[in-house]
Amino acid sequence: MLADDHNLMRSGLSVLLEQQPDLAVVGEASDGREAVALVKSLKPDVVVMDIGMPNLNGIEAGRRITQDHPQIAIVMLSMHSDESYVLRALKAGAKGYLLKDSAEADLIRAVHAVAEGKSFFSPAVSKVLLDDYVRKLKRSGTEDAYDLLTPREREVLQLVAEGKSNKEVAQLLNLSVYTVETHRSNIMEKLNLRGVPELILYAVRKGIIY
Amino acid sequence: MAKLPEDDLHLQKRVGKLRAMLLLAFGGLLALMVVASLGALHSLRQLDGIERQINQHYSTHNQALTTILISVHVYHDQMERYLLGAEGFKSDVDATDVQNSGTEVHHALQKYPADTQPDEHALLSEIEEKIAEQENSFAVLVSHRPTESRQDRQQSIGEQMMLRRAYILQISREVSSLNQKELMEARQSLVNSFRNVQTRLVSMVALSLLAGLLLSLLGGFYILRLEKQGRVRYQELVASRQELEALSARLVDAQEEERRSISRELHDEVGQTLGALLVDLGQLSKVVPAEDSFLQGQIVRIKSAAETAVKSIRDLALLLRPPMLDDLGLVPALEWQGREISRRGDMEVDVHSEGVSEQLPDDVKVCLYRLVQEALTNAARHSGTKHAKVSIVQNDGMIRARIVDEGIGYSPERVRGMGILGMEERVKRLGGSLSIESTPGKGTTVLAEIRVEHVKPV
Repeated sequence: MLADDHNLMRSGLSVLLEQQPDLAVVGEASDGREAVALVKSLKPDVVVMDIGMPNLNGIEAGRRITQDHPQIAIVMLSMHSDESYVLRALKAGAKGYLLKDSAEADLIRAVHAVAEGKSFFSPAVSKVLLDDYVRKLKRSGTEDAYDLLTPREREVLQLVAEGKSNKEVAQLLNLSVYTVETHRSNIMEKLNLRGVPELILYAVRKGIIY
Repeated sequence: MAKLPEDDLHLQKRVGKLRAMLLLAFGGLLALMVVASLGALHSLRQLDGIERQINQHYSTHNQALTTILISVHVYHDQMERYLLGAEGFKSDVDATDVQNSGTEVHHALQKYPADTQPDEHALLSEIEEKIAEQENSFAVLVSHRPTESRQDRQQSIGEQMMLRRAYILQISREVSSLNQKELMEARQSLVNSFRNVQTRLVSMVALSLLAGLLLSLLGGFYILRLEKQGRVRYQELVASRQELEALSARLVDAQEEERRSISRELHDEVGQTLGALLVDLGQLSKVVPAEDSFLQGQIVRIKSAAETAVKSIRDLALLLRPPMLDDLGLVPALEWQGREISRRGDMEVDVHSEGVSEQLPDDVKVCLYRLVQEALTNAARHSGTKHAKVSIVQNDGMIRARIVDEGIGYSPERVRGMGILGMEERVKRLGGSLSIESTPGKGTTVLAEIRVEHVKPV
């Protein structure tokens, strides 16, 4: 399903998606409120949504949609590559973050990735986040806390950032759920992160996930 | 200076007139008092002179009278002695002596001051007459002296002379009492004149007091009116300042609104259209065969032009009004701003927030956003520091934004540029306060506090 208040953009994206044999656009909304309502009746697998929309913006609409339907994956479309947007989008439950000027190139990949439960970020976004991060580290003179993580913790970090649940991580790594939880809280503490969205953001910055 | 309104000019004219009138009145009062006191002084001096004159008059008359009396006594004394000698005793006085002393009496009488009253004059003449009679009698006596036979007659003449003497003394007493009476009268009239002067002085003083009272009343009234005018002017001033503030507030609002709409227009319409164009171009490049290098090349060029346009439009829109302020709220917008400044320059910005609600009123959001923007821009440009901190905290019904840099600082009084004035204006308009502490060499702290009681912190 597509949600964007610009008809031109929406139709362009729609054409792009319809060309894929395994993708179909089941509905289109022109603002946040409409998107939230439409999701209820259509139950799509993926929602591609613009952040800047009238009535109800994409962030708020995304929050409501993931609250009611956690299984639906959301790809946020935005003109901004700034951390503020990315973090808010993640907090609102988005799995993918796509810049509009690269939408044409990355949309299909993004939709496929989130449909499979993975995260997706426009390469330009990852680059901006990484640049900001590196510059900040350099200027403040602090060491990258990533080096403090054990190899196991790095593995857990990547899997969690990719959107896996504790249970899935435990299965993949042959660990108990309890151990995974311990790793997770250690990672959070070492990296000084609060919540999964910040963890994902960190992973994107570090180039651990794309 | 602005041209005065018509009624203002009129008022000024009236005030000028009133002022002249007051000045005149005060001058008149002063003149009146001076004239009154001079008059009183003059009268007193005159009275003093008159009194002295009266005293002098009395004393000269008295003295002259005494001289007369003495000469009369001497005359009669000599006469007696002469007569006694004539009766057989040896005497040291002869007739010539007696006659001489008679002449003395006349001299004394002639020496009496000329300024005599008619009564006095008559009495003096009488004395003169009696003396003349005495002299005649004496002459008779002297001529008869050798003849003792007429002793009886001589006796009678002597007795007559004695009587006359007594009479002369009587008259001179009368003259004296007349003099005294005259003195008394003159004194009485002096007292009366003094009383007149007193009355005049009292009435003058009363008049001056009355005039003074009137003038004070007038002056008081004038001052009251001036005060009232002053109050009115002050109120007008306050009102016009409020108007000015409201106007500048509207200006700021209008500017913000304008920026927002232009930003939206650019971002939403132009930006999105270009975005759609990019999508379509991507489609097109897929449709066009890869071997057609000319068309593919054209598409790439158009695409890169569109991308450049998208980028500049996005930057422009962000500069005008960051959409995150509307899309995400104050704190994310400030964080973005901090990062943006870090990206562009050498200064790292830390943004710290606590309890800031996302439901802040738009004007507060915009105000704080612009404030931080201005302060950070200043810090990045002038402070020379590599680090600035922004802290934004909401609690106790207040939201406080503090921007601290550890740069070279400046003196706020000196460098109170338009930017800072604009910040102050914005904060004040929302009923907040702004303080800028900057010490050369020790960095700058900008602190804004705005009351937001109706918005709960989170």
